[in-house]
Amino acid sequence: MQKKPEWLKVPYNKQAVDEVAALMKDLKLNTVCKEANCPNLGECYQKHTATFMIMGSQCTRNCRFCNVTCGKAGPLDPEEPLHVAEVAQKLGLRHVVVTQVTRDDLPDGGAAHMAATVRSIHSLCPGTTVEVLISDLKGSEEALQTVLAAKPEVMNHNVEMVERLYPDIRPQAKYARSLKVLSDSKRFAPEILTKTGFMLGLGERDDEVDKLMDDIRATGCDILTISQYLQPTKEHWPLDRYVTPDEFARWKETAMAKGFRFVASSPLVRSSYRAAEALDAAMENRA
Amino acid sequence: MKNELKMPKLRPEMESAVLCAWLKEPGQAFRKGEPIYEIETEKVVNQIEASEDGVMGRQLAEEGDEVAVGAAIAEVEE
Repeated sequence: MQKKPEWLKVPYNKQAVDEVAALMKDLKLNTVCKEANCPNLGECYQKHTATFMIMGSQCTRNCRFCNVTCGKAGPLDPEEPLHVAEVAQKLGLRHVVVTQVTRDDLPDGGAAHMAATVRSIHSLCPGTTVEVLISDLKGSEEALQTVLAAKPEVMNHNVEMVERLYPDIRPQAKYARSLKVLSDSKRFAPEILTKTGFMLGLGERDDEVDKLMDDIRATGCDILTISQYLQPTKEHWPLDRYVTPDEFARWKETAMAKGFRFVASSPLVRSSYRAAEALDAAMENRA
Repeated sequence: MKNELKMPKLRPEMESAVLCAWLKEPGQAFRKGEPIYEIETEKVVNQIEASEDGVMGRQLAEEGDEVAVGAAIAEVEE
């Protein structure tokens, strides 16, 4: 294991973590914070924010960077959309991020369940904004339209990495297909902000990162997150290097110059980290 | 009254972690919520915050030690 740099220190308050974890457990809900072993879990749970992960904790894909368990996915819980809304209400969240495990076993990839969750939150928590962080839905335009019809305020789909690394790290995904999710979303529902993110430290070159940002921006994407890859276990894709905060700051400048409305770029940024701030800033830039 | 600080379990599959640094010396007081030691897990270094006010007592683990979850790492006086 490479020695961790000074900028990868995070606060951890066990009581706050236990409190949010107990609330989720009571309603049989999952968070990507816990399943992905997110480094910001301590900070976010202390602020009573969390990113819900619906449709189970077992993913049907096995990406080599991700800590979410790959396995046989179970049946959907029809009560889950309501339970997510109830917890959002209980925590007083003004912006809710809902993600999903990839459900290639379902004909619509889980789109209808995601749409029901968005509607449930909007109905129970008026004024609360919703961000969906979806899979590529196997490239189905119909499934994407189902999600968009529920009118989430932000449609997020992570491109994750430069094109060259897809076959090695995301063999069940396709670079062009992920970009198409973003461009299709803009085409079908231009009023919904689109968002994506990618990681550095996987072994990419600078020219590849620059092209990646051009490709993303060409979809009309509004919000971009750039973060450090953190290797979950020895069995996962090996960390290439820790990228310095200065480099992240330079990439942010490059991305803003390319026309993104909001860019979060630093080692511990995650796609849903401080998502409410990203939405506010992007809305302001759109006005 | 003396209590013990124990290596916390930060995620379900965690069995042990490396104690990277003590942020309080024996005899030093701390407030609830103050970081008192650091442990390294796979992804990051976690600064563990005190759950109560207290005074750091005898430290049972040294910086660099790999410690099993639940094992005592220090004594604390309330």
